[in-house]
Amino acid sequence: MLKFIIRRTFWTIPVILLVILMTFLMMRQIKGNPFRNSERAVPPSIQRNLDRKFHLDKPWWQQYLYYVKGVATADLGPSLVQRNQNVNDVIKEHFPVSLKLGAFAMFFAIVVGIPIGILSALRQNTLSDYLSMGFVNVGYALPSFFISTLLVYFFALRWRNYTGLPTNGWGGWQTWILPAIALGLAPMTVFARITRGSMLETLQQDYIRTAKAKGLRWQRVVVLHVLRNSLIPTVTAAGPLLGYIITGSFIVESIFGIPGIGRYYVTSVTGRDYSVTMGITILLSLIIIFANLVVDILYGYLDPRTRDLRT
Amino acid sequence: MAIDERLAAERAGKRRASFELALETTADARSAEAGAALQRASLWRDALQRFRANRAAVIAAIAFLALLAFVIFVPWLSNEDPYKLNFSQAYQNPSWAHPFGTDEFGRDQLVRVALGGRVSIAIGFAATFAIMGVGITYGSISGFVGGHLDNALMRFLDALYGLPYLPFAILTLAIFGTVTFWTMVVSLTIASWFTTARVMRGQIISLKENDYVRAAHAVGARWYRVLFRHLLPNTLGVIIIFVFLELPGVVLGEAFLSFIGLGINPPKASWGSLAQDGYGAYQTHPYLIVIPSLMIAWLILSAFFVADGLRDALDPRAREF
Repeated sequence: MLKFIIRRTFWTIPVILLVILMTFLMMRQIKGNPFRNSERAVPPSIQRNLDRKFHLDKPWWQQYLYYVKGVATADLGPSLVQRNQNVNDVIKEHFPVSLKLGAFAMFFAIVVGIPIGILSALRQNTLSDYLSMGFVNVGYALPSFFISTLLVYFFALRWRNYTGLPTNGWGGWQTWILPAIALGLAPMTVFARITRGSMLETLQQDYIRTAKAKGLRWQRVVVLHVLRNSLIPTVTAAGPLLGYIITGSFIVESIFGIPGIGRYYVTSVTGRDYSVTMGITILLSLIIIFANLVVDILYGYLDPRTRDLRT
Repeated sequence: MAIDERLAAERAGKRRASFELALETTADARSAEAGAALQRASLWRDALQRFRANRAAVIAAIAFLALLAFVIFVPWLSNEDPYKLNFSQAYQNPSWAHPFGTDEFGRDQLVRVALGGRVSIAIGFAATFAIMGVGITYGSISGFVGGHLDNALMRFLDALYGLPYLPFAILTLAIFGTVTFWTMVVSLTIASWFTTARVMRGQIISLKENDYVRAAHAVGARWYRVLFRHLLPNTLGVIIIFVFLELPGVVLGEAFLSFIGLGINPPKASWGSLAQDGYGAYQTHPYLIVIPSLMIAWLILSAFFVADGLRDALDPRAREF
């Protein structure tokens, strides 16, 4: 097991380097140098100094190595638009907000999605199964900007006297509820569906029939045998679902006016603040790589057969 | 027939001993197979029969076609000019003259939603086919050649897999500098071809183990004949399923990009940018955001259930991708 963990962890290093390389090469393709073509013409000597300061006079692979070194030492360089800010400052300021929101959304997704999946699997093809799967399918299909708008319209405007929830902003638990639901709904539906599917598959297994045949009470069968075995695929879904949360956060943070990293990312792209764009892209990629690492190790622990497959 | 009975049994909720049921269905399947051989029924006709037996899938397929018909025919049949500004008609609620109301410039929303649907669905299909092209090529090279190349290609794919897909689409759009139909297609493709490539590789590898492939090699078939004649045609079922699995994701991705302001330029619109316009006035004129959003949901749901039905019809064993 330890060997597996070490091997799997080592594999993330080339992956990280490759992701940084891709992002780096993509950013280089974007036209224009931030220090050229500005409104004020810069004298050539200053231009040369600026180029030297930011290593722009070096060949691209040296610039890449400088950047990798920057990532490794957690220094992502200065912001190109707000000259008095570093990318690090931007991340330090906005990332904790997104992290909190994402954690709330994931919590909502797990706490609501998995029980829905379990209940509808145990009552397969009954009215409650149809209703909850209908709810799950609709929740999956509606785009998150629409869900956010609906939530704001009904819970923060229409029924504000009963709920007392604000329409936007960040601070205090009242402001966390609606965005967390809006962001967590899509992953919630995925959790519910995966849990239901794997529960149904587990219920068909021979060992479940054996457990029933030897006279084990149904509740014990479900808790001891069915749940334990069918929640494993759900664990693996948690990694990719982080991608959903990140994608959704771009929208949800804009609509609810939350000062998170997703909203800032969009601003940095439209404002052509490329070093910030690049820094956040790499940060988000690192998070996903790390989450996949954790999921794989967890999966290797839960299901030893997969250790060799998931190096 | 067999499927119908199994569904009926399941619906009745009778917990019969499953092995008994299994015996029955295999017996049924065997007799059905024999009958099908007599009728010279192909695999495809078999699949069609199974698809038709799945009520949810049939309804979804009809809904999908209805949506296509809506976006294709409405702009032809309507007399409204979708680009003409008419401020005296601004913000009309839905009525007989304007079933979907009008927007802030007094343009008929019915035609605009249909035209936006054309853009969304066209981008969706174009990107889906591009994804299929890239994914099939990559996956079948990796699976067919095998060995070190396979290893290297899969490591590369692992690195890209699960990366946040929207940021990379946004970066690609930033490289192009402008958002047009084709740059949107390219950026969505770059951000989401990985799953198809991985599944295709798995398919090719498992097909390679079949006896008829070995036999083809044994009688001296060249590699291209094996690949194009024996392997790729057998992945067609999976490819068709994946078209319907990728399409909703791509349409949703385009809607997200449009909603955060990185969409097709006005006066052209997609469902995402229509929803974005509508978002500005959602309190006073909710229909402007509700209708495009429901269109997206309609497309996603119908494509999703069609994919589900196709999966059951084309490949009853493979329930996992």
